[in-house]
Amino acid sequence: MRKAVATNAVGSTLDAQRAGVGLRLPHLAEVAAAVPPVPWLEIHPENFLANPHARELLSEIAARYPVSMHTVGLSIGSADGLDLEHLTMIRRLADEIDPVLVSGHLAWSMYGGVYLNDLLPLPYNDETLRIVAAHVDRIQQALGRPYLVENPSCYVGLGRSRMGEAEFLTELVHRTGCRLLCDVGNVFVSASNMGYDPYAYIDALPAHAVGEIHLGGFTPEPDDGAPGREVLIDTHAKAIAEPVWELLAHALDRFGPRPTLLEWDNDIPPFATLMAEAERANSVAARVFGEVEQHAAAR
Amino acid sequence: MPPLADVQAGVARALVMGDAEPIAALLKGGADARARFAIHQRHYVASLAAALRQKFPATAWLVGEDTLLDAARAYARAHPPHRPCIAEYGEQFPAFLADRFPALPYLDAFMELEWSVGRVSIAVGRPSLAWTAVVRGGSESLLSAGLTMQPGLRYLRFAWRVDELMTMYLRGAVADRFVLRNEDAYIEVHGARGALSIDRIDPATFAFRSALSAGASIGEAASAALDCDAAFDAGKALRATVDAGLVTGLSDPTKGRVS
Repeated sequence: MRKAVATNAVGSTLDAQRAGVGLRLPHLAEVAAAVPPVPWLEIHPENFLANPHARELLSEIAARYPVSMHTVGLSIGSADGLDLEHLTMIRRLADEIDPVLVSGHLAWSMYGGVYLNDLLPLPYNDETLRIVAAHVDRIQQALGRPYLVENPSCYVGLGRSRMGEAEFLTELVHRTGCRLLCDVGNVFVSASNMGYDPYAYIDALPAHAVGEIHLGGFTPEPDDGAPGREVLIDTHAKAIAEPVWELLAHALDRFGPRPTLLEWDNDIPPFATLMAEAERANSVAARVFGEVEQHAAAR
Repeated sequence: MPPLADVQAGVARALVMGDAEPIAALLKGGADARARFAIHQRHYVASLAAALRQKFPATAWLVGEDTLLDAARAYARAHPPHRPCIAEYGEQFPAFLADRFPALPYLDAFMELEWSVGRVSIAVGRPSLAWTAVVRGGSESLLSAGLTMQPGLRYLRFAWRVDELMTMYLRGAVADRFVLRNEDAYIEVHGARGALSIDRIDPATFAFRSALSAGASIGEAASAALDCDAAFDAGKALRATVDAGLVTGLSDPTKGRVS
């Protein structure tokens, strides 16, 4: 069986066969006190940088669980540069909790010092590639570890792209040595909204570079520009949809075992619900890799 | 295609101001790309308004949910965030909302108190200094020494007794009739790890502790308190401040932190 593990600076490892859970503030005290049986947790560092009490609880949790950091405010696609003060704060938190993985989005959220509280699309062209690659280099240098770049969810494009998103990410990996976070939910949402094949997108990603998988729920809304049709909103407010589970199976089959994470950021349910969703991801992986083993044994 | 910086400047303006017309030619995708961009425009306003609503539940109770959310949406357009952590967003919202409601002259004070309550609730208390550690160096050196106070302390002076209104809200004991008095209130808000106290203190103690919190030496803080009350007993006040667990360190400007 293929095996993939992520390793942090002190050798703490993630078992790529068992799904982790996104840890949000409403569950922080519960997880610190009850220590539920989840193999690993992922946090948004921005939730802890200005919240000393939450940061104190996080330190306790990080002593018990492998923790990964998923940045939402680094804005690697900003044309006017990175917020270096923010990057320094991220690095300090990373020094404290020694995350097994650090990731962020192929997107921008800041321009001219204004933070737009969103993950906004980029045109995929040479200028953008140059800017994003320089920022990823800077982040990796500051953190002293590879940065995983996540494919965004998309509703609209900005400007004319010279290349596809998977090609852009592949070139980014080539230029910076970064790794990729494949958000299977985002692949499904973007493919549905922008009209492409999600399976072909997964197939076009460089499998060796994919270091983590994300899963999040979406919410369909009427597409205002196309009566009778829907646009999928990446709300992280619902359970994972059936077609996304199928796409996950395809992604695991293509990439091999990868640390997989359940995200739920709005209308957050009890922690037990998140653990149940993670179990479902485990069963998908077991099905995929059981089949791989059977094929290997038959040969 | 314009440079990325120009694209992002235009998109940022379109999001904050809610007008996609200037960037319409850049938008691609879907049957109507502007309708798709409107998803981002709605998210910008709705997510920030929700963040403000979460920070000001007492104000929402006081002025009404719809009123607060209307103002929060307007605030998001007038004051976009300048920091990546949304937990820090909204410090100017009290003044913004108060400007819209001149008939509620106490609103700014009430909201400033609520903002402080939110900030100190997430603070972490530090081990407090014992009285013996404070007086170890003798009284002469104490006058020029400064104190490090607990991080979850705020000193607020208002012209309205909004602390009574806030306490009533926090206790969930809403009276049929409440008279908000237009009288000075000197308030000490102390919080740590979700726990909170809101206490009225006398003007001289307020002057003493707030000066210490702002970095004044003990001598300077005592002088400020004596300006309020000629009978102020600095030694007694210092002992009470230390015994209340509000002090975490002692420093001498000439020697740095000594305990």
